[in-house]
Amino acid sequence: MSIIQQHTQATLSDAWRTINIDALQEDSSVNFDTSTLHPALPETSEAEVRQLTNQVRQLLRGGDAEGALRGCLESPVYRGRDEAKEAHLQTVIEVLQSIKASDMTPMLQRIYASPGGTECLDVLMKYLYKGMAVTSGGAGKSNPQTPTRMTPQQTGFSQMSGRPGGSSESTGGAMSVLLSWHEKVVDVAGLGCIGRCMTDWRKV
Amino acid sequence: MAAPEVHHLFHNPIADHSFSADRKTLAIARDTTVELYSKVGSAFKLKDELKGHDKTVTSVDIAPNSGRIVSCSQGKSTPVARNRHGVVLDRNALVWEPSPQGYKPTLVLLRINRAATFVRWSPSETKFAVGSGDRLIAVCYFEEENDWWVSKHLKKPIRSTVTTVAWHPNSVLLAAGSTDAHARVFSSFVKGVDSRPEPGVWGERLPFNTVCGEYLNNSAGWVHAVAFSPSGDALAFAAHDSSITVVYPSGPDQPPKAVISINTQLLPFMSLIWNGEAEIVAAGYDCEAFRFKGGLNGWVLSGTLESKGRPGLGEGREESALNMFRQMDLKGKVKDDTQLKTVHQNTITTLRPYETSGGSVRKFTSSGVDGRIVIWHT
Repeated sequence: MSIIQQHTQATLSDAWRTINIDALQEDSSVNFDTSTLHPALPETSEAEVRQLTNQVRQLLRGGDAEGALRGCLESPVYRGRDEAKEAHLQTVIEVLQSIKASDMTPMLQRIYASPGGTECLDVLMKYLYKGMAVTSGGAGKSNPQTPTRMTPQQTGFSQMSGRPGGSSESTGGAMSVLLSWHEKVVDVAGLGCIGRCMTDWRKV
Repeated sequence: MAAPEVHHLFHNPIADHSFSADRKTLAIARDTTVELYSKVGSAFKLKDELKGHDKTVTSVDIAPNSGRIVSCSQGKSTPVARNRHGVVLDRNALVWEPSPQGYKPTLVLLRINRAATFVRWSPSETKFAVGSGDRLIAVCYFEEENDWWVSKHLKKPIRSTVTTVAWHPNSVLLAAGSTDAHARVFSSFVKGVDSRPEPGVWGERLPFNTVCGEYLNNSAGWVHAVAFSPSGDALAFAAHDSSITVVYPSGPDQPPKAVISINTQLLPFMSLIWNGEAEIVAAGYDCEAFRFKGGLNGWVLSGTLESKGRPGLGEGREESALNMFRQMDLKGKVKDDTQLKTVHQNTITTLRPYETSGGSVRKFTSSGVDGRIVIWHT
């Protein structure tokens, strides 16, 4: 028997290799309870999110964009079902898209200067990053039908790769809105704001 | 405000620095050695090197009265030495005793098998605390009959690496910051070494490992620095979420009177010191020191300690046409923007009081990754 064959046989029976030994060790980082890294968070249901969305839309229709933005940033969905989180993200993006570019900086400065303003902009930054994740790489994940609409190209280069599905127009638009907001938020709240998005365990 | 005094020692990071009480000797943690500098004229000259660690030295502290130097390093217990009882000791931490023949190392029985990250003498100088990656703090004290430093472990409820420690003026309470985002206050009371502390806002009865307080920021960054106010009745900590938090406890088993967090627009702070009860100086990744002012009713960032428009840095070069074209040719741009406008050219790692009078700090020192030691006026 050649060495190669011996080796292969040995590897095939090595089921123990797939055991996650980290999980068996109490001190391991995978057993670290990350819920100890944030204060207790209330659970938000989808009904509450829907109610808030309606209020926010009402404010938007009434022309109070700042109130609408504050409204969604003051009640982020930290704990809840994915659907609730997703719905709230859509509300935030809707509000962001409805605000004119020239109004962004003055509005952010007003929010930042008001009590609780730093927290609001930190929350906004979290939604910006989440929005970017969903509109770019996560497009396939949030929208499982999309890949089937694409021509399957298992090998080689696809010109469509960066912009899956027919929704590329709208996601591109959403992304440019998010990017310009990102720039403005960093101008007002500084780099500290980005750092806090990374350290914070209260994820939106 | 007088200009800061800048000493550029070398082109290596300074992990930690400490001055002797007479401010004539300066200990620097550089790579795997502790370097001792002495002041000659207006400059610091290398006088001695303390070699005993085999891994990167993470922290160094000189006890003001006894002159003993304690240093600690990364590298888990390497059994390299036995004391006269044949017990294997590790070299994570060493105490250097001053003697006429130079410094002689005394070994410390730390009993940790991860890196030692931070060390500080207690104000009484009978104990020191070593933070470690082993999720514990070793509180060390000298055992006369065995001629070594032994340790007791503060373990619960620390769940991750201890990055920093700070002593309360009473030498019993110890604050610690950890990568589990919590700042905690412990009792490190050792029978026979400490005298019973006066009851205070942190607690009345304080047996070893009493947890007198445990604080967490909403945005939960790693804690980089902790410090008690001069009275010991307030605690400040700086975390990786670019914030500093000040805690005013009200008494044992009661919620604190106030917990004030200031989230800044800046990069995170690595070190902070109190200047009286109403001012904090903090510095870190922004390479400059900032002043915070406030009290029980709130704290604000009041500005930088860097004097803007300081002559010198980067302006010494003549602005001739020849030079301009030479810069464009060499670098593709006219302005040389490789230097920061701050005194430190890289992250500030440690701040320490340098000259104090009546509870307030008149001068303090900073050390940085750029190999500079700077003496600042507050």
